[in-house]
Amino acid sequence: MIPAEALVKQAKDRQFVRTAEQIPTEDFHDILFELEKEGEWEVQRVPEPYVEVQTKYGRKKKIPLQHTWHHKSCGQCGHIPGYSTSIFWINRRLGFDYIDPTDQTSCTAWNYYASATSNAAAQAAVAMRNFAAAAETGYYPIIHCGTSFGHYKETRQQLIHSPELRRQVRDILKRLGKKFVIPEEIVHYSEWVYAVRDRIAERQTRDMSKIRATVHPACHYHKLIAEDAIYDPEIYGAQRSAIVTGTLKALGIDVADYSTWFDCCGFGFRHILVSRDFSRSFATMRKIEVMKAEANPDVTVTHDTGCVTTLDQSQFAAKAHNRNVGVPVMSDSQIAALAMGAHPYKVLQLHWHSTDNKPFLQKVGIDTEKAWQEFEAAVEKLKSGEQQYLTWEDADA
Amino acid sequence: MPEQPILIIGGGPAGMEAARAIADLGYHAILVEKRSRLGGTPDDAGYAALTPDFRNAGEAMAEMAARIENNPFVQIKLNSTVTAASGSAGNFEVTLQNGATAEQVKAGAVIIATGFQHFDPGRETQQYGYYEFDDVITLVDLEKMLKAHKVVRPSNGKPPERLCFIQCVGSRDRQIGNEYCSKVCCGIASKEAIEVRQQLPNCKVFIFYIDMRMYGYWENQIYWPAQEKYKVNYVKGIVTEVLKKGDRLLIRGEDTTMGRPMEIPMDIVVLSVGMEPSAGTRELAKIFGVQQNKYKFIETIGGALDTVTTNVEGVFACGAATGPADLEDSVSSAAAAAMKAIAVVRKHHVKAAA
Ligand SMILES: Cc1cc2nc3c(=O)[nH]c(=O)nc-3n(C[C@H](O)[C@H](O)[C@H](O)COP(=O)(O)OP(=O)(O)OC[C@H]3O[C@@H](n4cnc5c(N)ncnc54)[C@H](O)[C@@H]3O)c2cc1C
Ligand code: SF4
Repeated sequence: MIPAEALVKQAKDRQFVRTAEQIPTEDFHDILFELEKEGEWEVQRVPEPYVEVQTKYGRKKKIPLQHTWHHKSCGQCGHIPGYSTSIFWINRRLGFDYIDPTDQTSCTAWNYYASATSNAAAQAAVAMRNFAAAAETGYYPIIHCGTSFGHYKETRQQLIHSPELRRQVRDILKRLGKKFVIPEEIVHYSEWVYAVRDRIAERQTRDMSKIRATVHPACHYHKLIAEDAIYDPEIYGAQRSAIVTGTLKALGIDVADYSTWFDCCGFGFRHILVSRDFSRSFATMRKIEVMKAEANPDVTVTHDTGCVTTLDQSQFAAKAHNRNVGVPVMSDSQIAALAMGAHPYKVLQLHWHSTDNKPFLQKVGIDTEKAWQEFEAAVEKLKSGEQQYLTWEDADA
Repeated sequence: MPEQPILIIGGGPAGMEAARAIADLGYHAILVEKRSRLGGTPDDAGYAALTPDFRNAGEAMAEMAARIENNPFVQIKLNSTVTAASGSAGNFEVTLQNGATAEQVKAGAVIIATGFQHFDPGRETQQYGYYEFDDVITLVDLEKMLKAHKVVRPSNGKPPERLCFIQCVGSRDRQIGNEYCSKVCCGIASKEAIEVRQQLPNCKVFIFYIDMRMYGYWENQIYWPAQEKYKVNYVKGIVTEVLKKGDRLLIRGEDTTMGRPMEIPMDIVVLSVGMEPSAGTRELAKIFGVQQNKYKFIETIGGALDTVTTNVEGVFACGAATGPADLEDSVSSAAAAAMKAIAVVRKHHVKAAA
């Protein structure tokens, strides 16, 4: 009898080799530089040293290590401040030079995705204004929010292909007294975390080998201008974006797969505004419950403001209905900082999260009660007026 | 002085038919084939039976090859390809490469018949899990199993209880850049569905489609028998994703007739992969400087009334090198290309003699 494998290869033996000829999309880099030559705009180069990674169709993307300008996220700062704090904390630990700018506006993609207001020129002008603000400092923009990231990439696409839009936006920027400058790459912070994952692992002080995690890749990261997301043959055979998973693996975490990984977290912009119950039930029933049933993780890790918030805070309501929820949620920057020894409350600020993350922290070897007392002691200094805010020294005390 | 020979590149059904037509009319052909044997993709991929008449594909290709092998008018060069070309209509100078040896030949006209390759679902990551799940296979894989009378789940060697086809994988898809219909996959999936039902009468077979495209007689020859005689289930609505559920696959999509989402467990999922220009087609277009369309198939410039003339005088293209084509189309256009190539060679011969 002929064995089936002799006729049809097993999935693991199927090999797909990417070649430049198969790439179905244009290389935006070429057009950026072409337009620069024609005097249309200036391209801000990725500063050295950078790491080259591979994107969906095998093209290279440069990720800067240092001299980064951190474009923050409205939702992050409001709901999960420990998210960006962790990013800065890791930068400091690695001895990297970065800027936490004050000259940044909201990307306004909220309006756009909720089909509420605004128009192409206004949207693009905001993006280019922020890029100009970064370029003025000489630092390179890194985008914290998945929404801003996806939106800016769409904006770049529009600017590339519409001379009329470029003209309108150039005009607006001129009136603002800003240069018309576009970054060579639009980089998401989690791409940076991925690029420095080995350095993070070198400085790891907490053992993560007992942890099992699931990953939720943010739609705005890998579904908008999809060809710009990082893929690595080592990670799910390049069938999932490599960031987050690659970072967790470098930390020694066991990453488990689940069948609804491709689904949205439930946030979805429009329905979080007009039909919030839908978001809540989607987040818990299509994501968290499926993860629990199929992988039973200690934690789920994602890399976008909306996803962390939705997956985390939706479980609160579902719990009241006795649903099978209860998975701590955090960002890759938070778990990476934790692995490097960051304080769970002073740096990660996990007290802002609504799912119970103590069992997870204890599994990593953290005395949660002691950590909480340390945090309260630090807060005491603010209450008494001795200090106005916590400092990096307090964070590490 | 005899006329210059006509160079045909590609020994698939189209190239073989062009060579035969040229020889039948008493002209000389040089047929260059990259592989070690003639027969083209149907032979290389090991198709079992051909649409629409269920004829044995191996035999059919062997018969085509036999007509030109040992034919004094046809010189066959296997394991060879073309690496350079110069000259013009009536007088091309072409470099043939066979392993380490290069050879110069002269040709009065050229026919490019370098065919297609199957769309590889890996070109798009995340598409239906072909690179993740053993039991997701392609039309070509199933063809091999049908040929061996061994349709089993690659994951465990057991015969499937439910098998489905997903149509238009890599075709009619603006997202991935292949907007065209590959023309044959609806018919081939229906043909394979019938064969699965013949070999495994207890297996339920589904076909998920955008719309079924059956040309001419294929309607009565395959489409209706598949439904009426073999009870194949045709479901309108495309599958969006294939997931693992226990040791089975779960397909998720939308049934557009019923207007509702669907989730159905399956044992084998067959991707009806369409056609893309072969690497040879893309290379040869560059070597001869012929125009390609946006999908990189060779562009013919005569519209509906001339399907084989390219923008370079004396260079013709036929078969699946010019776009998705079934065997009927491929051999018909091959005959047309042969006729037009002969006309070029004749004209130049007459001119040279005068
Ligand atoms: C899954 C599937 C099943 C099919 N089954 C059927 C069917 O049942 N009935 C039907 O009518 N049609 C069927 N078809 C379509 C059929 O395969 C094509 O119509 C036919 O193969 C086209 O013939 P061709 O000679 O143009 O190209 P091909 O068959 O692709 O032949 C091209 C030849 O050129 C050679 N070549 C390529 N590059 C070079 C180079 N650089 N130098 C030298 N040689 C080169 C190749 O090695 C090959 O031998 C099927 C298609 C698919 C996708
Ligand atoms: S022949 Fe059928 S399956 Fe193939 S591309 Fe056309 S419609 Fe889709």
